[in-house]
Amino acid sequence: MRQDRIGGAAWIAFGLAIFAGAWQMDRYESMGGTLYTAPGLVPGIYGLMMMAMGALLALRRPGELADAAAGGPLFNRRVALALVLMLVYAIGLVGRVPFGVGTAIFVAAFCALFDGDAPPRRRAVTALATGIGTAVVVVLVFERVFLVRLP
Amino acid sequence: MFEGLIQFGQSIAHFSQPMVIALALLASLVGVIIGALPGLTATMGLALMTTLTIKLPSDQALLILICTYVGAIYGGSRSAILLNIPGTPASAASCLDGYALARQGLAGRAMGIATTGSVLGTLIGMVFLAGFTPVLGGLALKFGAYEFFWLALFGVLIAGTLTGDDPLKGWLAGVAGLFVAGIGQEPQYAYERFSFGVRDLAGGIQLVPALVGAFGFAELLTAMREHRPPVKINPFDTVIPRLTDVTKYWRTILRSGLIGTGVGIVPGVGEDVAAWSSYAAAKRASKEPEMFGKGSIDGLMAAETGDNACVPGAVIPVLTLAVPGSAPAAVLMAAMIIHGVRPGPMIMMENPRFVYDVVAMMLFATIGILIYGLVLTKALVQVLRVPQPLIVPIIFVLCAVGSFAISGRMFDVWVMLAFGIVGYALRQWGYPMAPLVLGIVLGDLLEKNLRRALVLSDGDLTPFFTRPISGALAAMVIGSVAWKVWSLHREGRRARERAA
Repeated sequence: MRQDRIGGAAWIAFGLAIFAGAWQMDRYESMGGTLYTAPGLVPGIYGLMMMAMGALLALRRPGELADAAAGGPLFNRRVALALVLMLVYAIGLVGRVPFGVGTAIFVAAFCALFDGDAPPRRRAVTALATGIGTAVVVVLVFERVFLVRLP
Repeated sequence: MFEGLIQFGQSIAHFSQPMVIALALLASLVGVIIGALPGLTATMGLALMTTLTIKLPSDQALLILICTYVGAIYGGSRSAILLNIPGTPASAASCLDGYALARQGLAGRAMGIATTGSVLGTLIGMVFLAGFTPVLGGLALKFGAYEFFWLALFGVLIAGTLTGDDPLKGWLAGVAGLFVAGIGQEPQYAYERFSFGVRDLAGGIQLVPALVGAFGFAELLTAMREHRPPVKINPFDTVIPRLTDVTKYWRTILRSGLIGTGVGIVPGVGEDVAAWSSYAAAKRASKEPEMFGKGSIDGLMAAETGDNACVPGAVIPVLTLAVPGSAPAAVLMAAMIIHGVRPGPMIMMENPRFVYDVVAMMLFATIGILIYGLVLTKALVQVLRVPQPLIVPIIFVLCAVGSFAISGRMFDVWVMLAFGIVGYALRQWGYPMAPLVLGIVLGDLLEKNLRRALVLSDGDLTPFFTRPISGALAAMVIGSVAWKVWSLHREGRRARERAA
C-alpha cells in the first residue's frame, strides 16, 4: 500500500504538471479560437484524469484493489549491470565507433559477464564467437537484405 | 459474396510466388521462435519486425508482420507445454493442461493438440475476417466524431480493465499513453506541446521506437531480473495430431473459435483474454470439468483455439475502424500506416482488395505454423536451450538498430531507451503495457474527434449521449468502468469483513 501511496502522489504531481502546462498554452483567441479548439484542452483533461486516478490510487483502502506490484527492489544487480552495458552500447558506442565493432564488443561483453553456467574458457570462446557472429550477421542482413542504413 | 471470393482468389494468386512464400514461411518461423522464447512477446516481435521491414514493399512487409504475429501466438504454446512457462501471455492458459499432459509423458500429443487448435482457430477467425469486415466496414461509415471518440476511449479503458491485475493502474497507463500521443505539434494550429524546445520532439514521439522500448527493451530488462538456468527438454512422443481430437472436440473448437474471434473484435482486449475466456467456457460446458488443470485435452484445445482465433478477430477493427483489437494489432496498424495503407471505415471503398490480401496473408501464416507444428517441432524446441545471456544482447542490438532504421536519427534510439526504462519500472510496479500502447496508438484519433465533436456541437455534450451509436458506446464505456469499480469495491468490502 505504501508503494501505491507514493505512486498515487507521483501521478498527482505529473497530472498537475501536465494541467499547468496545458493551461499556459496559447488559446488563439485572436484567431477566433474557442475553448474547444484550444491546444491545451485535451492534455488538460488528461492531466485532470491522472490527478483524479492518482488520488484514488493513493487513498484506496487495503483490499479494495489488487496491489499487483512485484516485490523486491526495482533494479537488482543483474538488471543494473545489464542496463549499464546496454546504455554504454546505445549511447557510448553506437554512432561513435564502427557499428560492427561496437556490436561485437557489446555482445561479447554481455555474454561473458552473464553466461555464468559455462566454464571460463568456454564462456570466453562462446562470447567472442557470439559477438563477432552477431555483428557480421546484423551488418550483412540489415545493409544487404533489408537495405537499412546502420548508425 | 462471389466478388469477395474472387478478390480472395486474386490475393492468393498475387502472393503465390516462390520468393513471397519463402518470406511467409521464414516470418512464421521467426514468429514461432519469438513466441516460444519466454520473455519475448508477439508485440515485441511485431515492433522489431516493423523496423526491419521498413524498406520492403508494403505487401511483403505486411505479409512478414502478419506471419510473425500468427507464428508468435502459436509459438508460445511450446514453452507453455514443455517448461510450464508461457512463451507469450496468450499461452498462460495453455500451461494448465499442456504442462500437466507433458508430465504424464504426453508432451508430443499436447503440442499436436496445440497445433490443431491454433490452425483451426486461425481458420475460423479468417472466415470472420473475410465475411465480417465488409459488414462492419459498412456500419463504420455511420460513425462520426462522437462515435470515434467513444470507441477510442473504450479501447484504452477496456485494455486497462482486462489486461492487468489492477484496473486503476491499467487506466493510468492508458491515459499516460494518450498523453504521450499528444506530445509535439497539435493538428489544428501546429502548436508545439510539451516539446520543451527540443526540435526532434516537435514532430511528436514516433510510435515504433516507443513500442520497441516499452515492449522490447523493457522485456529484456524484465527477463534479466532472474537467472534462468539452462533448461532440460525430455524426449516426447509424436506431435502428429490425431483426427479423433478434432472430431471429438469439434464443439470446443467451434465455440473457442467464435469466442476468440469475438474477443479479438472488442478493441484493446487481446489474445490472453481470448484464451482464458475460451478455457472458462470449455470448462463450463465440459462433462469432466474436474479434469481441467490436470491434463484436459478439452481445456488445452480451447485455450489454443481461442488465442489464435483472436488474431484475425483483432485485425477486423483495425481494418474497419482503425482501432486495434489487441496490443500486437496496434503495432500492425502502425505498420500499415507507415506502409501507406489507410485503415478505417473507407477501406472497403478505397482498397477492398487489401482486406482479402490480409486474409490471404493469414492463410499463408496458418500453413506455416502447420508445417512447423508437424515437421519441425523437435528441431524448433531446441531454441529453448539457448542460454538467455546469448539472446538478450542480440535482441537489444535489434532494438537499437530497428529504432534508428525508422528515420535514420539517433533521437529515436534515445526514445527507445527512455520508454524501455520507464516501461520496465511501470511493469515492476504492476502497470500493464497494453493500455499504454493502445493509448499511444489511439491518442490522435481520440483528440481529433473529441475536438471536432465539441466544435460541431458548440460545446454541447448531449450529442455524445443522444446519437444512437454514440449513446450505446457511451453506455459501454461508462457501464464497464462503473461495473469494474463497483465489483472491486464489493470484493474489497468482503475481504475486509473476512479479515475482521
